Amino acid sequence: MKRDILKLFRQFLFVNLIILLSIHITLASDNNSKNDHELHDRYSSDNLKIGERLFHGLIITGDNTINCASCHNTEVIDTFNWNPSALEIALSTQYMDSSAFANTLLNPVTKRISEVHKNVQLDAQQIVLIRQYLDSITLKGLEKPRMLVRRLAFFILLVITFIIAFIDLTFTKKIKFKPVHGVVMLVALAFIFKIIYEDAVGLGRSQGYAPLQPIKFSHKVHANDNKIDCIYCHHTAETSKSAGIPSTNVCLNCHELVREGTNSGRFEIQKILTNMEKGHATEWIRIHKLPDHVYFNHAQHVGIGKLDCSECHGNVEDDHLAKQYEDLSMGWCLDCHRTKKVDFLGNEYYSKTFEEYHEQFKNSMIDSLTIAEMGGENCMKCHY
Amino acid sequence: MTKYWKSLDGNSIQNKEEKVEKKSPTNRRDFLKTFGFGLASTFILSRCENAAHKAIPYLIKPEEVTPSMANYYASSFFDGDKFNSILVKVLDGRPIKIEGNDLSGISQGATNSIAQASILSLYDDTRYRKPKIDGVNTDWTTTDKQIIDQLKKIKKEKGKIAIVSPTIISPSTKKVITDFIKEYPTTEHITYDSISAAGLLDANKESFGKRVIPDYRFNKAQLIAGFNADFLGTWLSPVEYTKQYVQNRQVSEDKREMSRHVQIESGMSLTGSNADERIIINPSEEQNLIACLYNYIANKVGEKEITTSKPAQDITKLGDELFKNKGKSIVVCGTNNKETQLIVNGINQLLGNYGKTITFNQSLLTKQADDKQMDGFVNGIDSYQGVIFYDCNPVYDYPASEKVTKALKNIDLSISLSTIPDETSELVKYVCPANNYLESWNDFNPKEGIYTLSQPCIHTIFDTRQEQESLLMWAGIEKEYYQIIKENWKLVVYSKTNRAFDFMGFWNKSLQDGVVELESKSTEPKYKNDLSAVKIIESKSEVELHIYESVNIGSGKHANNPWLQELPDPVSKVTWDNYAAISPALAKERNLKTGDVLKINGLIEIPVLIQPGQAKNTISVALGYGRTVAGKSGKDIGTDVYQLLKTGDYKEYSRDITIEKTLAFKELATTQLHDSMEGRDIVRETTLNKYKEKPSSGNERHKEIEKHHQTLYQEYKYEGHHWAMAVDLNACTGCNTCVAACSIENNVPIVGKEEVKRAHEMHWMRIDRYYAGDPENPEVIRQPVMCQHCDNAPCENVCPVGATNHSSEGINQMAYNRCIGTRYCNNNCPYKVRRFNWLDYNKAEALEGNLYDPHGMTEDLPRMVLNPDVTIRAKGVIEKCSFCVQRIQEKKLKAKLENRELKDGEIQPACQQTCPANAIVFGDLNDKNSKVYKLFKQQRRYHLLEELHTLPSVGYLTKVRNKKNQISNYKSQKPNHG
Repeated sequence: MKRDILKLFRQFLFVNLIILLSIHITLASDNNSKNDHELHDRYSSDNLKIGERLFHGLIITGDNTINCASCHNTEVIDTFNWNPSALEIALSTQYMDSSAFANTLLNPVTKRISEVHKNVQLDAQQIVLIRQYLDSITLKGLEKPRMLVRRLAFFILLVITFIIAFIDLTFTKKIKFKPVHGVVMLVALAFIFKIIYEDAVGLGRSQGYAPLQPIKFSHKVHANDNKIDCIYCHHTAETSKSAGIPSTNVCLNCHELVREGTNSGRFEIQKILTNMEKGHATEWIRIHKLPDHVYFNHAQHVGIGKLDCSECHGNVEDDHLAKQYEDLSMGWCLDCHRTKKVDFLGNEYYSKTFEEYHEQFKNSMIDSLTIAEMGGENCMKCHY
Repeated sequence: MTKYWKSLDGNSIQNKEEKVEKKSPTNRRDFLKTFGFGLASTFILSRCENAAHKAIPYLIKPEEVTPSMANYYASSFFDGDKFNSILVKVLDGRPIKIEGNDLSGISQGATNSIAQASILSLYDDTRYRKPKIDGVNTDWTTTDKQIIDQLKKIKKEKGKIAIVSPTIISPSTKKVITDFIKEYPTTEHITYDSISAAGLLDANKESFGKRVIPDYRFNKAQLIAGFNADFLGTWLSPVEYTKQYVQNRQVSEDKREMSRHVQIESGMSLTGSNADERIIINPSEEQNLIACLYNYIANKVGEKEITTSKPAQDITKLGDELFKNKGKSIVVCGTNNKETQLIVNGINQLLGNYGKTITFNQSLLTKQADDKQMDGFVNGIDSYQGVIFYDCNPVYDYPASEKVTKALKNIDLSISLSTIPDETSELVKYVCPANNYLESWNDFNPKEGIYTLSQPCIHTIFDTRQEQESLLMWAGIEKEYYQIIKENWKLVVYSKTNRAFDFMGFWNKSLQDGVVELESKSTEPKYKNDLSAVKIIESKSEVELHIYESVNIGSGKHANNPWLQELPDPVSKVTWDNYAAISPALAKERNLKTGDVLKINGLIEIPVLIQPGQAKNTISVALGYGRTVAGKSGKDIGTDVYQLLKTGDYKEYSRDITIEKTLAFKELATTQLHDSMEGRDIVRETTLNKYKEKPSSGNERHKEIEKHHQTLYQEYKYEGHHWAMAVDLNACTGCNTCVAACSIENNVPIVGKEEVKRAHEMHWMRIDRYYAGDPENPEVIRQPVMCQHCDNAPCENVCPVGATNHSSEGINQMAYNRCIGTRYCNNNCPYKVRRFNWLDYNKAEALEGNLYDPHGMTEDLPRMVLNPDVTIRAKGVIEKCSFCVQRIQEKKLKAKLENRELKDGEIQPACQQTCPANAIVFGDLNDKNSKVYKLFKQQRRYHLLEELHTLPSVGYLTKVRNKKNQISNYKSQKPNHG
């Protein structure tokens, strides 16, 4: 019996180890060696280093040395940065000749960039080196931040503590006072299960998920500063199953004329125009995704239920970056179905279909009905 | 009560050896290991970020498209055999369902199962993706250049070119072919029908001077006599005929009259199994019998008789009855023998049926081919230098195909315009793949005065081009086919209308409706009576072969459609195979049992199926099987019997054969092996006479059981809706279209032959078939069974996790994501309508190794057909009929958005929508004016196993048979060839 349990733990640890190792290996192998070779064939590594230092403002150039990287991030970030990343710059200037590149850098057209780039003092040689560095980014991509393993490390620590306590309890017996083992093991086990429980529940849910989008579209700018109604862009929310992500031609209704933004200048808006010219649809990153076995219809909730968008999506207009506001769990759905009142008398469908209730309304026997009381808790309202 | 009996080899089922599968040695240690691994992987998984999904909107959204909302486009389905007017449901740019077009006078809102399932052929993985030269992929420019060069060369040398096609009913396509012939004058257009009606056409030409199929009006007939004509299943226009037939068969307390149907046939057909009276003959006796019937009636009206011999069956009673129903009867015959059809015309003429039950006003045009033409072509094929196969596959479906196969090697220019690889296209030099019909423009003229359109519902998926465009290109005509249709319609159709709209208005309306029906003013042609030349040919043989068209597979063109292959045969319930149907008597005589392999004429081997009601010396075999080149699902399924057809002036669908028992055994995949009701009145029936007296006849028990109505459970009260379904057993013909429609609507998986053998088929609804009476000539009764949505549902209270429970609208709901697969509900359901996902048929799971997909239905392309509004069920989950809850919700939402009440009949489940027999009615029992409520008030209504007090929401209406007096006592009279 003891042997079995030991063996089990051994296997358990072994499995963990393999998984950890494999994660490490996949992360490491991301730095594609093939690209490195190509890069070294093209540029000398010294030049690249100088270019990188120039970009990060580490080499003094005149009176006003600026750090390009302070605005144009060279790492993958999970915060909102209005300015294009180093990669985006690199890609958009890829096919420019060097004089055009220098011109864009030193004498930008748009107001915002010209303010920031006003005092940049770089000579032609330095610009070439910066260009080389940017070129290297197109091949290598942005640097990836290191994975957060704190919780994982804590979990493994707990497991190890538990095992040590167990081993000491049964074999080595260094600590003679046995309740110590008990307490340590119980506490460790409690935390282990807490972590597992929390993570298992969170599996497949992604409250707060706010990925960076290919175009830095800001709901704050559009819905808050410019007071555009949600329905203007998401115009099928009241009548269709999906609220609808606006097609590019809807963007162009305004951006045909509005070519320069206060925050991002021309860079982001230009992406829409380029997409339209090239005939590419914008590939947004999907934020709200219900499991396949859930049927959700916007028309029912917005068109008939008259819910405000913010009841599920939060105050989208307050943030630049769109995120999943609620956890979209079944419990959250049902909470609302159990408390929200149906606009019974406002829709003839209800008052004519539920005749008995209608009588009770008329005779003032009831004055409201919740969704659940009208069958809103039925499985087949959402699962079919 | 009628005594129902078990299947003939019902007992042998129990003796079947159970395959014992080796148990995997699972012990506690493995369990702990897995458990530990599970915990670890859950933790690790949850640490990883979820994969980013993309949401890609339109670049420029088309005005009529709303993402996630379906659009319906009117179109037409014609596969060279049957015509259906259809609506195509297009969701997010992909067609996902076919529905009937209720504006059509032909299919009247219904479809047949082949049209239903045809949507899958659009997403067929085996389709040609590019043009091919000598089997190598190439592009259109190269192909066109080579073909045009060769055509020009042939033209210069005055060589012969042939376009081989099935009957073409598209006026614009005919115009394109004419234009092609103008450019290449040595071209001949040869048409042939794989299922020929040339005999009937030529007989009509001789009798009436019109080589067409008349408009049969079964709804006008009080007495229908069918001779080997499966008009409810396969003959000419079965959906239209079923609609008409049922119109006169449905009874109610206000209308206690129905037509009477006598079927004289050799094999048990779908039509025969619905007949009130069935007379069994061998195919060789048919002509003489019909001639005797003619003589009997001729004698009564004083017309000249024809020389006959003694009939095999006594026809005097049938003759009397027909005579009594003069002008209200109809006699049809399915034979391809011109002489027989002439006599049938004679009988109908004597009975005065022309102009009443049979008219030439809207003649059917779907079959026009002449067997002689094709025969002549095949015999002289070596003289042709160019052959274009247009939507046809003669190497498979022409009897003497070896001549074609041999000649194709020597013909320089052989072109196939097939969409999918088939036996013919594999042998030709150039494959110029055509579009699927859902990607093409076309027009049709299925009946005189009826014009329909079909429009593309999706952009071409592959680099294909529709046939007409190819012909236009080769003829050097630089015009789109769409333009040609429009111009042609202006000339042919628009000019015949009252021109209330301008042409564009007319065109747009026609496109929206899909159908234009012109008023026709043609007069009935005169009958020319000349039966003196008719000679009765009698052959005598020990065993005869009767070759018929299968209801599901048809001519075999759609063999690669797994939905059709898995659909059980309406009579035998066999899937994935054809078989030699033999009578119980012959089986006894030759010591054969179901599954024994038989050798016919030393040529083909085919398993036996003992079919009650089969003529004793006749073996029936279905066409359409045994394809050798037909994708994953159609290849090598069953046996090809086209090679046994006799050719000549007319193809003969019956012949004498020799049979020989082999030692082989082939198990048939059958969905119903147990044909016994075990003494319970699962189906209730009565006769018309009894029904006239007392509408509750046959259903006396219903009242009795209602009296004992007591319950421990709290009774449900449905505040809003109470959904219910009424199934009229008297209307249902058992054609299976509902099963196909249900499977397509609800993403029901294909499980394949091996799984069907293990009774793992997943169909949400089935049509049970029971036999009663004499095994040699039984009565057949059918019953569609789906989830009964019981109020006291036995399944609900045994589910340990509450995955199945009752909704406030009377639906027995099933939450797949809650189901843990105990199958308690399955075991406790008295109706056996729940289906368990034994394997992962749908690729619904992330874990690999569970997938069981023998027919590639989970590949990317076939998956496009899935209905996104219905969940894909994973392994280990129970599923069942949901009353098409997605449709209920959709229509409820529509009513709410329009601020109104739901209309009765607005919600139609897939089965009801497509039913050609109007046998299924769905509605709200709380609505006292609804159709279903009125049907539930009928005294014919009962519930399945109602003594169990499950209180189902599905009600059945008893079957009424119009049995008067036995027409023939076939047992007393032995076949006697005078």
